[in-house]
Amino acid sequence: MIICPFCAFNNKEGVFFCEECARPLGGGEASATLPTRRLNNGSDSATVHATWGTARFDANAQIVMHIRDSAEAITLKPDNTTLVGRYDSSSTQRPDVDLTPYGALENGVSRVHAAIYRNDETDTLTLVDMGSANGTHLNGQRLMPDQPRVLRDGDEIRLGKLVTHIYFKT
Amino acid sequence: MKRLEFDPYNLLGVPHTAPIDDIKAAYRRAARRLHPDANRSPGAGIQFQDITAAVDLLSDPDKRAAYDELIKEQPQGMSFTFRVIPSKRTIGLLPEPQVFYLLADLIPDPRTSEATNKRESRLNLTLILDHSNSMGGSRLDRVKIATHQIIDQMTPEDILSVVSFNDFAEVVIPATTVTDKAALKARISMMMASGSTEIYQGLTLGLQQNRQFLAPRLVNHVILLTDGRTYGDEGRCLDLAREAAKDGISISAMGLGQEWNDKFLDELAALTGGSSAYVQSSSAVVSFLNDHVRSLANVFAERVTLSIAPDPDVHVESVFKLAPNPQQLPIDVGNISLGSLQINRIISVLIQLEVPKLEKEGFRSIGRLVAAGDIFANRLQRQQAITEIALEVMADPPVEEPPTSILDALGKLTLYRMQERANEALENGNVREATRLFENLATRLFELGESDLAQQARSEAEQVAYTKSLSDKGRKAIKYQTRHLLLASGPGDTNA
Repeated sequence: MIICPFCAFNNKEGVFFCEECARPLGGGEASATLPTRRLNNGSDSATVHATWGTARFDANAQIVMHIRDSAEAITLKPDNTTLVGRYDSSSTQRPDVDLTPYGALENGVSRVHAAIYRNDETDTLTLVDMGSANGTHLNGQRLMPDQPRVLRDGDEIRLGKLVTHIYFKT
Repeated sequence: MKRLEFDPYNLLGVPHTAPIDDIKAAYRRAARRLHPDANRSPGAGIQFQDITAAVDLLSDPDKRAAYDELIKEQPQGMSFTFRVIPSKRTIGLLPEPQVFYLLADLIPDPRTSEATNKRESRLNLTLILDHSNSMGGSRLDRVKIATHQIIDQMTPEDILSVVSFNDFAEVVIPATTVTDKAALKARISMMMASGSTEIYQGLTLGLQQNRQFLAPRLVNHVILLTDGRTYGDEGRCLDLAREAAKDGISISAMGLGQEWNDKFLDELAALTGGSSAYVQSSSAVVSFLNDHVRSLANVFAERVTLSIAPDPDVHVESVFKLAPNPQQLPIDVGNISLGSLQINRIISVLIQLEVPKLEKEGFRSIGRLVAAGDIFANRLQRQQAITEIALEVMADPPVEEPPTSILDALGKLTLYRMQERANEALENGNVREATRLFENLATRLFELGESDLAQQARSEAEQVAYTKSLSDKGRKAIKYQTRHLLLASGPGDTNA
């Protein structure tokens, strides 16, 4: 079994391209097309961080969300589906992670913006844009609505203009 | 001179001097893998018949002597090369099934040129033309022009027949040698558009015309051109195609405009080794048909077939022809028709196999491939090329870079498959899945720099999400253009 590093789809052993998102699975081309990620480590912003944080998310692990320009972090234990968005008077449902206190409205976060899914079988988390108005970016790359992408420890998620970092806590 | 249908020594993998005991031992070894009791794949059935015929011939001393005499007189002629590249040479000892791929190429003898082969490959061509109401106006006019040009291209040695159909079919030009070109053209000009589309009628009459001159020394080909959907007779049409494939007739299908049933025409063509194509505008018909007929005249070998006999525990998952015309091939037939092998072009087939969970290390055989074809330059002597596939199983296989030709093809084939799955999901009413697949497809196409096609996939995804259906035009465009991507980088011309 090969788990696609982009969309967490379970491919059969020996397959070269993910059957779900058609991206190459390992081998020569894969390393060339991985989006490189810049770390925000102060002055040396040009350092290219080529390795990924782990994608493994154990059953009893927790997510820690650091929101930029905010001192406190959100810690939660994700259900199978965790909705991220903004709650207001006209909302029909309250999102599991309500970003209103962090300036969600000013930063263009939709009421139902994105969702984090937990896959028990593969022990991974995936991030999905729920058709938000201003888009969801994972490590600088805009997600297509309804297309899951694997979340890794240390990933940067941008919801509209609101920047957050995700860490896994075991 | 008698034609040699097969080479028994080659089939059993024994030298011509082998004593009878060796031959029988070789037969038993092969039979253990290919016997229908042990191996249920259709390819193995065909190959088992072949080796049984071979051992029958060689174990009869009189027949063997006669055969040895015969091959002495046979001149050493042209041959094609059969090259099979596996995606890996070593596979891991895994407790789960794994996939691997074989790229099988048939390469014509580089010494043949169009000039020397011209006299050998003559054409027995049948055109089946849709003249239903929807073909009226410029479409039918273009088809007439195209047919006139095809008549001009043909030589008095070639045979042409033309059948037109709507609800019923009629013979416009009965099968004849192309001598009086003016008279033939005049008949074409009289065609009028009326009625509806019923392909079965046209196909029956067209094949009947083609069979009148059916001969192994000819390239027997039928071109079906339609712009509509046929109702209720598709199954019967496919039966006709299977019959035609047995007789060595290949059928190419061309769909004009948006309404025709692409799935049906693809299947019809794939059964016989012909090609299928989508002609979006009527102005493209003329050049398209002309190019197609020209390619028919440059044939190195006809009635090329491939049979795949995987080992009993190995499973064939799909067979896809990459070149010269990309198409999905049927896996439920013993002999897969590949159509004709053209001069200076190669036939390239990608086979996807699944190996079960493995238990021990060491070399193991995977299967046996047999390619065969009648070579024109050798007075249609049939050549058979056999390849045994074996791989090494290792607990910890070395990291191998898969061959670029396979990677290239697979990358694009995955896109084509995705498009097929999206359409399937939509047919089953699974709108969410179809939207997601079309969006995945668009994302990947953007990444690969195919922005026009990506744009199209993106707008189809939107359309699916809103209207729960696709535009016929968009769906066909995506299908045939993703398929066309395979051609752009695929192993096409040998001289490219």
